Amino acid sequence: MSTLLKIDDMSVRFQTPRGNLKAVNNVSIELLAGESLGVVGESGSGKTVLSRATMGLLPGTATRTGTITYEGQDITNLPKDEVRELWGTGMAMIFQDPMTALNPVRRIGSQLTESLTVRLGMNKKDAKEKAIELLKRVRIPDPEAMLRKFPYQLSGGMRQRIMIAIAVSCEPKLLFADEPTTALDVTVQAQVLELLTELRKEENMAMILVTHDLGVVAGHTDKIAVMYAGDVVEYAPTRQLFSHMKMPYTEALLKSIPRLETPTGSRLPVIEGRLPDPTKDEPGCPFANRCPYVTDKCRAEKPPLTDGGNNHFYRCWFPIGGVK
Amino acid sequence: MSETSTLSSANTDLPIKVKRKRKRPVGFYLAGSWLFLIVFLAVFGWILPAPSWDKSFYDSLGVHPFHHSHILGTTLDGYDMFAGLVNGARLSVFVSLISVTVGGAIGTFIGVTSAYFRGKIDMIVTMAFNVMLSIPNLVLSLSLLSVLAYSDENHPATIGRRVGVLILSLTIVIIPILGRIARGATLQWSSREFVLASKSMGTKNFTIIRKHILPNVAPAILAIGFLAIGSVIIVEGSLAILGIGVPGGASWGSMLANGRGNIAYSPWEVYLPAGAIALTVISCNWFGDFVRTSLDKRESKI
Repeated sequence: MSTLLKIDDMSVRFQTPRGNLKAVNNVSIELLAGESLGVVGESGSGKTVLSRATMGLLPGTATRTGTITYEGQDITNLPKDEVRELWGTGMAMIFQDPMTALNPVRRIGSQLTESLTVRLGMNKKDAKEKAIELLKRVRIPDPEAMLRKFPYQLSGGMRQRIMIAIAVSCEPKLLFADEPTTALDVTVQAQVLELLTELRKEENMAMILVTHDLGVVAGHTDKIAVMYAGDVVEYAPTRQLFSHMKMPYTEALLKSIPRLETPTGSRLPVIEGRLPDPTKDEPGCPFANRCPYVTDKCRAEKPPLTDGGNNHFYRCWFPIGGVK
Repeated sequence: MSETSTLSSANTDLPIKVKRKRKRPVGFYLAGSWLFLIVFLAVFGWILPAPSWDKSFYDSLGVHPFHHSHILGTTLDGYDMFAGLVNGARLSVFVSLISVTVGGAIGTFIGVTSAYFRGKIDMIVTMAFNVMLSIPNLVLSLSLLSVLAYSDENHPATIGRRVGVLILSLTIVIIPILGRIARGATLQWSSREFVLASKSMGTKNFTIIRKHILPNVAPAILAIGFLAIGSVIIVEGSLAILGIGVPGGASWGSMLANGRGNIAYSPWEVYLPAGAIALTVISCNWFGDFVRTSLDKRESKI
């Protein structure tokens, strides 16, 4: 399989009144065609910025460095018009909150056919047929009636299906799913994830699934990048990551998923402390203050991204299971 | 047992089709019909069997309302009040509609584009709007009218020119008012995720503005637009009273201006046009309010 997307040494900085905010630091990621990558981390770890920066959807206050190669073409410094050509047909995005990602005053039909007519140049009749077909594919009952509805008439799960239908309408090769299930309840989450995986396999579409829930990515990704404070701290194939976890942070993330077996009334497991201030440049491992295994070396020096073999990379001085 | 059966029958009788009809307040119908009447008179007033508005009836000077020959009376100079009001409606509606439509369109375009793209242009536009808003409406219209439509015995300005400059000056007054509303609403809507979502599908900026921003900004513009029609009518009246509006009793304000000296002898000369102005302004405000609330419903349901 060929390489679809290659992110090399990408950093993103935001100009804020409080100073230079480091949102993403020197991230390198490679994605094959049809492959699925999970980006995991807590709020503020830079996962959303990573996906938006890759697409080029950042606001004007952001600066991006590094190179992004899409289908062998360097798209880092492409003019806006040419990048826009890629959006929708090459890369598309599903947003976190389906409640706000649909225009409240327009019917589903017109929003769904918008990119079909604007981007693919279809006429109204063809676009409508295609829209019905798309709605069938995302399992919406009675698609023709759906075209005439307004977003407020739909449930959250329905709206997220509509969003997915819009995102895949121009048959992108790469789909960014930015926390697609966070705003949905658990039963609908599973359905939406199943749907995404199915669509991905049918179309041989690559996907970057951004989430804070390790459980979500487990069954739906080929590899996982764990992010913390703008760094990729662990990067490995999914099986490898779950069987040979190296990072204390990943372990803490997994532990903080509430379990049914734990007795009622016991405290929920949490990761104590907070993310470091992204505008400050502090020495040492950014996770040092919250890490249960912290040593003096961790506070003094930031660990580099280390190759642990089997395509497993981690950023820790004292990985779980020891250094090979 | 009987209880359960009634319960189940009650369940099946539950209205599947919920009544959607919203009850509108009486004010909506009153305001709507008054505005309809004014617009109707403005457009079709010339068909009515009324005496001509600019002809003086020397045989019936200062006749009080409900007289058998003049239904709303005449002025002390013998002009028919009803014909004057109908003719005034035409000019007031014409002036206010044109200036609010043109000014609103220009203001909305400037406000929406500058707020959507932000940057330096937005700063300049905001500054320009603030400067324009800091000049009192009356002073601005006054200076424009006295410069562009200057009139004395030797150089009389035609009514057409006066009306043209009046519309121009009112348009200039309207641009920053509606422009600021449009800018504020656009700032709020363009940061919403559906704009980013549409952008991420490769939609061009002006398509996004047309299809996503404008439909959401429209209710606010419409509501304020109706308010603006009301205030434009008032400004037109004030200018007429100051003696630089449309001359010769051709508009409501002008009738008011002509009649204000005769208030002791024929008070209806002042009360009738003043009442027409007041009713129209109140109706515009009410109607604008109803338009806004009924268009806001879709958003509030989310």
